[in-house]
Amino acid sequence: MATDPSLGAVTLTIDGRTVTVPRGTTVYQAARSAGIDIPIFCYHDRMPPLGACRMCLVRVEKMPKLQTSCTLVATEGMVVDTRGPEVTAGQEAILEFLLINHPLDCPICDKGGECPLQDQTFRWGPGRSRFIEPKRDFAKPVSLGPVLALDRERCILCWRCVRFGEIIAGDDALKGFERGFTSEVGTPFALPVESKFIGNTIAICPVGALTSRTYRFRARPWDNQPVASTCTHCGLGCAVWLDVRGGEIQRVRAREDRAVNDVWLCDLGFFGHNYVASRDRLTTPLVRRNGRLESTTWEEALDLVASRIRESRARGSGRVAFLGGRRLSNEDAFFAARLFRDVVDTPHLDHRIDATPSGASLQVAWGLRASIEEIGRGDVFVLLGCDPTEEYPVLWLRLKSALDRGAVLMTLHAKRLEIHRHARWEQVVRYDRLAAAVEDLAAAVERAGDPGSAAAAIAAGQRVHVFVGRAALDGPESHALLRAAARIVSAARGTLHVMRGKGNDLGAARFGVVPGAGGWAAPEILRQAATGALDVLWVAGCDPATAVTDRSAWDAARRGTKFLVVSDAFLSATAQAADVVLPALVLPEKDGTVTNLEGRTVSLRAATPGPGQARSDREIFGLVAAKLGVLFTYGTSDELLADMRAHAGDIRVGEVLPVPPVRLDGLTGSGDGSAVIATDGLLVVAADHLFTQGTMTGRCQGVTALAGPPHCLVHPDDAVRLGLTDRAPVELTTTHGRLVLQARVSDATPAGQVTVPRGYESAPVQRLLQWPHVAAPVEVRLLGLAPAGGAP
Amino acid sequence: MVQPFTAPESIVLRWARAWGMQELDHYRRAGGYEAARRVATGAITPDQVIESVTASGLRGKGGAGFPTGQKLKFIPRQAPVKYVVVNGDEGEPCTFKDRTLIEGCPHLLIEGILIAALTIGARKAYVYLRKEFYHGRRVLDAALEQARAAGFVGSGVFGTPSDVEIVVHSGAGAYIAGEETALLESLEGRRAMPRLRPPFPAQAGLYGKPTLLNNVETLCHLPVILTLGPETYKAYGPPALFSVSGAVSRPGVYEAPLGVPLRSLIFDYAGGLRPGRTFKAAFPGGSSSMLLTDEHLDVPMDYDSLRLVGSMLGSASVIVLDDTCDMVEIIARTVEFYREESCGKCTPCREGTIWITQVLERILHGRGRPDDLPLLESIARGMTGTCFCPLGESVPPSLGASLKHFRHEYERHIARAAGAPPEVHTVRGH
Repeated sequence: MATDPSLGAVTLTIDGRTVTVPRGTTVYQAARSAGIDIPIFCYHDRMPPLGACRMCLVRVEKMPKLQTSCTLVATEGMVVDTRGPEVTAGQEAILEFLLINHPLDCPICDKGGECPLQDQTFRWGPGRSRFIEPKRDFAKPVSLGPVLALDRERCILCWRCVRFGEIIAGDDALKGFERGFTSEVGTPFALPVESKFIGNTIAICPVGALTSRTYRFRARPWDNQPVASTCTHCGLGCAVWLDVRGGEIQRVRAREDRAVNDVWLCDLGFFGHNYVASRDRLTTPLVRRNGRLESTTWEEALDLVASRIRESRARGSGRVAFLGGRRLSNEDAFFAARLFRDVVDTPHLDHRIDATPSGASLQVAWGLRASIEEIGRGDVFVLLGCDPTEEYPVLWLRLKSALDRGAVLMTLHAKRLEIHRHARWEQVVRYDRLAAAVEDLAAAVERAGDPGSAAAAIAAGQRVHVFVGRAALDGPESHALLRAAARIVSAARGTLHVMRGKGNDLGAARFGVVPGAGGWAAPEILRQAATGALDVLWVAGCDPATAVTDRSAWDAARRGTKFLVVSDAFLSATAQAADVVLPALVLPEKDGTVTNLEGRTVSLRAATPGPGQARSDREIFGLVAAKLGVLFTYGTSDELLADMRAHAGDIRVGEVLPVPPVRLDGLTGSGDGSAVIATDGLLVVAADHLFTQGTMTGRCQGVTALAGPPHCLVHPDDAVRLGLTDRAPVELTTTHGRLVLQARVSDATPAGQVTVPRGYESAPVQRLLQWPHVAAPVEVRLLGLAPAGGAP
Repeated sequence: MVQPFTAPESIVLRWARAWGMQELDHYRRAGGYEAARRVATGAITPDQVIESVTASGLRGKGGAGFPTGQKLKFIPRQAPVKYVVVNGDEGEPCTFKDRTLIEGCPHLLIEGILIAALTIGARKAYVYLRKEFYHGRRVLDAALEQARAAGFVGSGVFGTPSDVEIVVHSGAGAYIAGEETALLESLEGRRAMPRLRPPFPAQAGLYGKPTLLNNVETLCHLPVILTLGPETYKAYGPPALFSVSGAVSRPGVYEAPLGVPLRSLIFDYAGGLRPGRTFKAAFPGGSSSMLLTDEHLDVPMDYDSLRLVGSMLGSASVIVLDDTCDMVEIIARTVEFYREESCGKCTPCREGTIWITQVLERILHGRGRPDDLPLLESIARGMTGTCFCPLGESVPPSLGASLKHFRHEYERHIARAAGAPPEVHTVRGH
């Protein structure tokens, strides 16, 4: 619990020691601050005290009975005893109560070795049991969804997991059922648990009741080698422990970082690591011979790449381009920039491969304009086309805690957000009306709004944060939308955040993987490639075939490119069409740094060495540079850091170097006005989801299961009109392409709009869309067959 | 020749005993709603109400016995939103006074609610009714309908600008919902589990707003106090409603002055034990109060006297046990009730109740061991003073008293067990 230092301090005596703590501190915390251990189960220091487990009993002078120290606020002159015979008897009694129906199956329990119940039993428990009755017996573990298993016999009903969902995540994922000694944790109607944060409940479970289905029986805690690194999925850069055993990451745990993720992670962070140890990893370089990719040596592959680059340079500069950045470390990006700008001499580099050619994404620098901690102190949050739990989940936890302190939330999106019940004002409009809705809101804020309206709250807010998400930045009329968002920010004297950039996109931007003078942005690189303007296209750690928002644009680019080099960890759809494929390490296998959405430099530590002959991207770029006659030599990492600082400013690990300010100079006219397609029928729209089945996530069992089969969301009214039922197989047809998916009938999508998640390798939504359109009229046809999943 | 006992005149219970008091007309003709009207119109100010209630010595009738006048005073005057919540859960075993009042004279309760709401300035009141009060619910709903039509409930009560809306809510059948903070949780739509105090409901109760939480009977006393005046009211005892049940000739609800000896309640009011039976023990205030034996028959039935002998007045429900009762069975049955009704929040209550019933069941089934008696005492000790709320805390006193006064009955069961083969049975959750 937070204490307010302005309230002064109190002095009390604990076990004969004088302890001074801020007023409002509990006796438990006061004891802990003095180094006195009190056993406890239900209390978690990120949640208010509950007083349920009754383990933390202490004796306080002048109080008639034992007190739970976690719920008792320390007062001046209090005399506390945590060790006396009466206290010990009370604690032993409680521990005995907890143990009588606990199965004591520690030898086969995942928690064994890091279990508070086990530890405290050793320290405070009675030596032997007086319990001769039959123990409470439940069916052994029940599945609570794709990643969570519950062993109710082990559960000591501390309520931490239930309260996590109520207080921290706000998703009420787990609840208590039945009562008394038959109480159990579960989900309503025993449905799979619905949460983006359920991994945290496994982490805070004080026994082995909640376990991860991907980690069960995989390792003992003492065999795991924890490696302090950073999660590189969404771009927030959450601090993690990668627990390694037998050369494989067994699980991911949150590492405390108060500035970023506090002690939490999202489920993509928890369960999105299995791809590292996938058997599909590339282990040797591949070259195309007679139309087929065949294994070769690094020497041969690099010679081939270098010679094609040399040939191109002989024909003139600017005929080589580079795409990638999201999966590169800062150091990789810096090497890429040096190689392509200085050695190959081309300005055509870009990391923004998923941007639309005329959308606002290409016009502004991505990232947060305030630290995550500052955002947590905000009082009004406005989400414009931004869905935090699907895009930047851990940021939602900050917003949630701010809401609990009285901040208010307004959301405007082309779908109903999962967090909608926490929003004071919620507006759901069809995708093609987003910009108009933001303009209306801006006008209302400038008029200071009607009393009680969102606009009035925004205008009156002291610390207003406006988040513009991908749906807005790459949507129809995005230039007008962004200008309107900027008007809201200036009227409210708030902060505008450009919620764009995954993995290390911001590091790529900072260290030079952006178009140089006269250089082309990613969509333009593809357009030029299609016309045959490129001799060599190098794609590193990304998959344009599924990430570019128009599949045909990529296909044309590939056809027009004479020589395609792909450095990646997997034989992605892009790599399958390459002339040379170089096996690369992935971020959890790299030492170095990445840049998070705030512009904070955070460090990576290699957890595992990587498979076969795979090399880091940085090394690959260095080797090619060497083949081209330039040696990138850095004696020490400090020398490299100095060089990187000279290029990108004074970066320091753990600290924020602000991202460039939002400039709206480039925003002219209505932007891609052509992207608005008038239709009375259904519109198909692509949306970012947290759980996907992409090149990497498709190789993480947990994430794949959480994502479910390729599907689309259809509004119930439309479903009735189309004669669809939930989970029915449907075929979506646009003028551009076809896709077979499972229909999910849901009112999360507005009427008249079919929403298809991005990121399914087997069912890429971008087949249905063609630039400059970011949404298209669509025919939905019910199929009589079982859902096929994938493109016909 | 013993004089036949004549119960003194009742001033609260008589409303519920009179014929037809469910009807608004009858109730008004008897003087009903006059007190509430005077409070609404300002003829009696809120301060005067609080003064009268304080002077009357009325204490909460739900179990805790907190002075009602003080409770009224605790509600912050300035708070813009306040609530009155009526505890009509009446879950305490063998307590049936609230039910008698609701079914007999629902208007008395409605008038009490109006007085309380107008006194603290609450515009909304919730009546949390025990699920099983199906008949009471119908009676109360019909009475509310009449009171609303007459302009006594709703917007502008008694033609004044004050609004008092009354909402009746039926629980889902949990004893713990009778605990005031668990009741609030349940009323807000959550699982009935007691809340941490402080904050107390008077500061942050229903939906986090100041809340006056009173038992049905407590509120039914308010119109009587205002009508008769605190002095006259007090001269009746002050009165209390006792639910007397068990091995007596005439079980029922009796109004008697607070402090009436237990002996008088049993032998005068309830007509004594049935022919040929002798008194063995009694719970003076519901099954949560400590069991008393014949040495305590002359203890006055009031808050302080009962506390002095280690028991409590609770909900004033006397459960009488005669010589045919097997104490081990009685205690096993009682603890079983608490086991079933434990909400599961805190460890000692959840685990202690199941453990005790398992041991008692074993003893009753002829598989007891001599070691079990010290074990039972030790489990009870582990639960004493460690539970989150009074539910778990009510188990050890009676268990302890039975082990002290009726140990020989336990020993008889255990002696029967010697040589019996062990039996294994499983307790299944699901």
